[in-house]
Amino acid sequence: MKSRPTRAALLQPRRGGPSESNRGLYFNTGNGPTLQPVDIGHRDYVGLVDPDTAFWSLIRKDKLGSALTDGPLLLAYRRRAAVFAKEMETLRFGLRPSAVYFNPTDRCNLNCTYCYIPATMRRGGIHMSRERLIGALAILKDYFATTLPRGTKPQIIFHGAEPLLNHEAVFAGIDQFRKYFRFGIQTNGTLLDDDAIEFLTSRGVSIGLSLDAEVEAIARRTRKTWGGGGIYHKVVRALERLRGYPDYSVICTVTRENVRRLTRIVDFFHGLEIPTCMLNPLRCTREGARGIKPGDREMSRYYLQALDRTNELYRRTGRKLVVANFANTLIGILAPQARRLMCDISPCGGGRSFFAVSARGDMFPCSEFIGLEKFMGGNLFRDGIADVLESAAFRRVTERKVEDIDPCCRCAVRHFCGAPCPAEAHEMNGGMRRIGAFCELYEDHIRYALRLIADGREDAFLWDDWDADTTTSFKWE
Amino acid sequence: MKSRGCVDMKKRNAKKKKDVIAVRKSCKAKGTGLSHYVMTEPRKK
Repeated sequence: MKSRPTRAALLQPRRGGPSESNRGLYFNTGNGPTLQPVDIGHRDYVGLVDPDTAFWSLIRKDKLGSALTDGPLLLAYRRRAAVFAKEMETLRFGLRPSAVYFNPTDRCNLNCTYCYIPATMRRGGIHMSRERLIGALAILKDYFATTLPRGTKPQIIFHGAEPLLNHEAVFAGIDQFRKYFRFGIQTNGTLLDDDAIEFLTSRGVSIGLSLDAEVEAIARRTRKTWGGGGIYHKVVRALERLRGYPDYSVICTVTRENVRRLTRIVDFFHGLEIPTCMLNPLRCTREGARGIKPGDREMSRYYLQALDRTNELYRRTGRKLVVANFANTLIGILAPQARRLMCDISPCGGGRSFFAVSARGDMFPCSEFIGLEKFMGGNLFRDGIADVLESAAFRRVTERKVEDIDPCCRCAVRHFCGAPCPAEAHEMNGGMRRIGAFCELYEDHIRYALRLIADGREDAFLWDDWDADTTTSFKWE
Repeated sequence: MKSRGCVDMKKRNAKKKKDVIAVRKSCKAKGTGLSHYVMTEPRKK
C-alpha cells in the first residue's frame, strides 16, 4: 500500500518556488490556504471555502475550530490545493471556443419585452442567404479543425431572433454539416410545425423552446407578436409533439410577471414530461427588460420554492425535471470543470468558450452583445477568427474577471457565481467592473446548493450520469 | 435477541451527522459550455 506523506514532509519548503521563505503552514496567513467560513443557512453545517481554488467543505458547526486548527482536513487539502488551483486556471483562462451561437436571420416574428436584439434589427434586418450560411459553416468547420482535438464536434446553436424564419438555409446547413457539428436550435416555437419537428428530431438536433408561464394570460405579457398577440398555444402544441424526444428543453425567463408562479410553471413543465428547463433570471441588458425586473429577495424566495417543487415531483413520480441553470451551479461546486454552462464562471464563456455570429457575419463574444456595436470584434467573412478572438472588443469581455470587481473580489463564492453578466453589468450598471443584476439571487442559489449537499440530496437536482466523465479527486466524508 | 436499547443506539449512530463533508470531482475541461442554451449529452450505452 502506498504510504501517505508525513505531516513533516508536507511542510517542507517547496523547492525552487517563490515561496521558500514561507511554507504556508497556517490558514489565512502567509502562503497558507485562504479559507472563508460561509453561513449556508443549515442547522448543523457551516461552509468553509477557499475562494481561489473553489475548494469547499461543510463542517459541523461545533467542529469548526478543530477542523481549522489541528486538522487532517487541512493537510489533505494542502496536498491537493495546487492541483485545484491549476484546474481553475485552466477553466478560467485555458479554454478554446467549441461552440457558436449562430443567428441565420436578424428578423423575428415576435416582440418580446426583454429581447436583447434591437427592435429595428428584428423588424427590418436581413436573412443570411443559403449560400452565405453554407459558407459560414465551412469557415467555422475549417477553424475548429485546427483548434479542437480530432473527434471533438463543436456545437452550432441556431439562435435568434427567430432562426426558423430562415429554415430553408438552416436545414440545408444542418444536412450538409451534421458530420462536423452538433447542432441545436433555440426557437420561439411558432414555426415548429410537424415537418420541422420531423426534420430536426430525425437528425438528432437539440431543440430549445421558450415559454414563460403555464397559462396564456401570463405567458403573453412578455412573449408576444408585434401586434401583442399570444403564442402560448402554439408553443404548448410543439412541446406536446416533442414529448419523449431526449434532447429538448424549455427556457422560462423569470420576470416580475411570472416570478410568483414559478412553482406552478414547474408543475406544468413536469406534467408535459419536459426533461430539462432553464429558469433564467431576466437579463437586464436592455432598458425594456429592466422595467420587468423582479427584486432579488422576491426572486430568491420563489425560485427556491420552485426548486423544492422539482424535488417533490421527483420523489412522487420518479421523473426528474432538471433546472439546468441551477444544476450547473451545483455541478460548478461539485466538479468545477464539468460545468455545461459558462455564465457562472469568471471570465464567462463569452468570447472564449463560445462566440456569436450575426446574420451579417459580424462576430460578438455572446449573443447578448448583438446590437451593441462596440462589442463587435470583426466579421466571419472578412477577418480571421483567431484575430477576432484577440480583438479589443472581445478582450473587454474575456478579460473581465471577479478579482477586479467589488464586492466579488472579497466574496467566498466568487467562482461558483462568476458575477454574470458582462453585457448586463456594462449596460445596466455602467461598466465591466460592476456586478450584474442578481447578486443576492446567486448567493442564495449557492447556499441552497450547499445545503442540498449537506443533506445528501443533490442527485435529485442533477442529470443522471452527470459525473460519468469525472473522477473523485477529493473526498472527506 | 438484542435489546431494544442496543438497536436504538445503532440507529442513532447510523443517523449521526458527519463532522466534515468535502467532495471534489475532476475531469478534463473541454469547454463544453454555452450560456443560455443547454445541450443534453448523448446517452452513454
